[in-house]
Amino acid sequence: MEITVALAALKVVGYGLAAIGPGIGIGIATHGLCTAAARQPEMKGQLMGYFFIGAAMSEALALLGLVLFFIG
Amino acid sequence: MGDALTKFVEEAQGLSEHFEPQVVFSIGGWGVTQYVIWLFIAFAVTLCVILVSSRKLELIPRKKFLSVMEYMYSFVNKSVAEDVIGEGFKKHVPFLATLFFFILICNILGLVPGFKTSTGAISCTWALSTISFVYFIVVGVRSMGPIGYIGSLCPSGVPKPMVPVIWFLELFSTLIRILTLAVRLYGNMLAGHMVLAVFSIATTVFIQQALFSVSMDAICLVPSFLWFVLLLLMYAMECLVAFIQAFVFAILSASYIQMASHKH
Repeated sequence: MEITVALAALKVVGYGLAAIGPGIGIGIATHGLCTAAARQPEMKGQLMGYFFIGAAMSEALALLGLVLFFIG
Repeated sequence: MGDALTKFVEEAQGLSEHFEPQVVFSIGGWGVTQYVIWLFIAFAVTLCVILVSSRKLELIPRKKFLSVMEYMYSFVNKSVAEDVIGEGFKKHVPFLATLFFFILICNILGLVPGFKTSTGAISCTWALSTISFVYFIVVGVRSMGPIGYIGSLCPSGVPKPMVPVIWFLELFSTLIRILTLAVRLYGNMLAGHMVLAVFSIATTVFIQQALFSVSMDAICLVPSFLWFVLLLLMYAMECLVAFIQAFVFAILSASYIQMASHKH
C-alpha cells in the first residue's frame, strides 16, 4: 500500500519536473514573438507560424511527461 | 471547518472516476460510452450550425449569427491558413475549418453544466490527431513523392556527416506529432474540467456545512463564497481555453501541412 502511494506521489513530482523546462521555453518563445511583433507588426502573421511550431516542440516534453504519468 | 475540509478531500479523491469513460449501452458488442454520445451530439450540432449558416449566404450579412459564422470562417481562412501555409493554401482551408469548428463545438458543448466534452476522452483526440497526421503525410507524399518526402525531413544545408543524425531527430519529432496533438487537447480539456469540478465540489461541501449540517458552522460561508468566485473565474478561463485549444489544433495542423508541402 505504502509503495503504491509513494509511486503515485513520485509520478506527480516527475511530471512537475518535466513541466519546468517547457514552461521556460514557451515563455522565451512568447517573449521573442512579442518583441518581434512590436518591432515589425507586418511580420506578425508569419511569425505566429514559427512561434506555434516552437511552442509545440517544447510543449511536447511536458506532454511526454503527462503520458508517462498515465502509463508509467 | 475541519469537518468540511475532510469531507472535501474525500469527495475530491473519487473525482477521477467520474471522468472515466463508462459504457452506457452496447450495440452488438460495441460499448457506447457517454463520450461517444456527446461526440455524436457534437457532430449533429456542427452539421446544423454549418448547414443553417451556409443556406442563405449574403454578400453583406445582416443577421448576427451569420456574421459571426462568417467572421470565424474568415478567421480560419486568414490567420490559420493564409498566414501559416502561404502559397497554395486555398485547397487546405475546408479541412482546417472542419477541424477548427468541430473541436470548438466539442469544447463549448462541454462548458454547458451537465454536458460532457468528447475531446476530454483520449480516444476521440487520438482519432482527430490521426486524421491530421495522415492528411499532412499524404500532402507531403503528393507534393514530393514518397522518397522525396522522407528525404526532405532533413533540412537542406546541413553538413554531410550530420545528415543521418538530424534526419533521425526530425523523423522522431514528426512521428511524435500524432501523440502531442492528441495529448495536448485531451490534457487541456480534462484538466480544465477537473479544476472546475474540484471548485464546485468545494463550494457545495462548504455551503452544506454552513447551512444544512448538524453543527451549522456559519463561518464556512466565507470560504464557500470564495470558492464560488474562483469557480466563476476558472469558468471564464475555460471559455478562453476552449477557443485557444481549437485554434492551436488547427494552426499546428496548418504548420505541419506547410512543412510537408514546401521544401525547406
